[in-house]
Amino acid sequence: MLRMLVLRDLQKTYTKLRLGYLWTLLEPLGMSIVLWLVFSVLLSRNIGQQPYALFITVGILPWWWFTKGIAQTTRSFKRNANAIRISLLPTQIWVLRVVLVSMIEFIFSLPIIVLAMILTRTFPGPLILLFPVAMLVQFLLMYGLGLLVASGVAVIPDLARIVRIVMRALFYLSPVLYSITKIPEHIQPFASLNPMVAILGLYRIGFWPSEIETPWHYALSFGVIVVIITIGFLVFKRLEPRILKGA
Amino acid sequence: MARIHLTPDLSSMLEFATVGSSVTRQHRRGGGGRKHAIRRMAGEFQNEIEWTLRDISTSVQVGECVALIGLPDDGREEFLRLAAGTLFPDEGTVRRKEVIIPMIGVVPALDRSYTVRQNIYIVGGLLGMTPDEVESKVDLIAEQAEIEGRLDKYLGVARPIVRQKLAWSICMAIETRAYAIDQLLVVGDGEYRDHCWATLDRKRAEGVTFLVSSDTDEHLTRFCDRAIVISQGAIIAETSVEEGIEIRNAMIPDSKRKRERARSEEEDEEDYEDL
Repeated sequence: MLRMLVLRDLQKTYTKLRLGYLWTLLEPLGMSIVLWLVFSVLLSRNIGQQPYALFITVGILPWWWFTKGIAQTTRSFKRNANAIRISLLPTQIWVLRVVLVSMIEFIFSLPIIVLAMILTRTFPGPLILLFPVAMLVQFLLMYGLGLLVASGVAVIPDLARIVRIVMRALFYLSPVLYSITKIPEHIQPFASLNPMVAILGLYRIGFWPSEIETPWHYALSFGVIVVIITIGFLVFKRLEPRILKGA
Repeated sequence: MARIHLTPDLSSMLEFATVGSSVTRQHRRGGGGRKHAIRRMAGEFQNEIEWTLRDISTSVQVGECVALIGLPDDGREEFLRLAAGTLFPDEGTVRRKEVIIPMIGVVPALDRSYTVRQNIYIVGGLLGMTPDEVESKVDLIAEQAEIEGRLDKYLGVARPIVRQKLAWSICMAIETRAYAIDQLLVVGDGEYRDHCWATLDRKRAEGVTFLVSSDTDEHLTRFCDRAIVISQGAIIAETSVEEGIEIRNAMIPDSKRKRERARSEEEDEEDYEDL
């Protein structure tokens, strides 16, 4: 186990050699600024919690990790086909690698949240301890979903595009820009079927404990997370022979 | 999370029991003309299952050097991959006593964008070495592959022969009791080849099991004790290496045979781009 992890770490550091770390921060930061501008200043609608700049930053960074990570998993088996061919290691490793790399990039981008905290002079309460818990849950979700998606793409190449479109849509359908409490009551159950609802809630609870006023949103979302992870594992197990053949 | 399953109390090194491996191809429903146009538009697919290997039952004993003989595309590569465990059988079971290291497509697995040292760690790791093991063997591998001093250079510009030597050296440095080799038995030019043979003979004397597929018949006759002959996905004979080669030659159509004979004089510099 350990040897696997360490080898992966190596792969990870070396894949990042050629990136400029700073550039990977600029994109989510830019997005946050623009969206804050639009919703808080231009439109002046109170769709999230205050201060909105912080609210949106805390929402966008994890989302960014989610989107980039899953998008990369769609390619992970194809990109590493040559290595999979000769690999005696568990095939899950290629998905795990992508999820870990994107998680580390997320961690590196966290200073943006700190910056937002300082600028808005808002500091979190004790529930901020749930932030790492949120990260863990997101990691597990992405691993399961990544396995599902990567295996699916091996069988149906079109899935890569579908994933991209779905992620786009999910961005607006997820409580990244807004709070789930702010949308019409009768829609809330459907919105809660989104696994990211629970995760985003956990990220935010340190700053805005009122987010968890309606716990059943989060229970539902957690349920969906567990289902997705389970399906991901099962599908991968089932499709692994085909993945190996295609390598 | 281990993927390679071992049966340590197996009597042989490797056992195949009614193993089959298939490939499923999708065809659009055939038929041209307007009559079938609607079917085609509806995207009807027909799945065609083609068995690369079927009903393979055999075994390899500990310490044997077995040659796998057959025509190209007859299933030799799948056989080796099944033996090593980088391919799962669709039918039957494969059991192995110990880890069998695959030397199948190692050269394409080397990444040009990494340095030589990184490649050693990566390929070594893929083949089951821990980073500590690799650490202790890096110098040995560099020496074997004759690339000392270039360890931290990017692999990008290295010539094919250098990559082959590197791939071969990494695999041979692994402490394993069995190999499944596809084409990469010996590499390089005359002097280096002697060195390869020396290593191989030493390993064989130590009782390492080999399962070899090679298009260079002389290698097989020199190195292997016996042969398994495969044709179109089935084992048609298990016999001596010479006889196996004869059986295979008998299957080649005449025109190809003449070309083969003309080419057999040349030093075989295998083309690894296809693997």
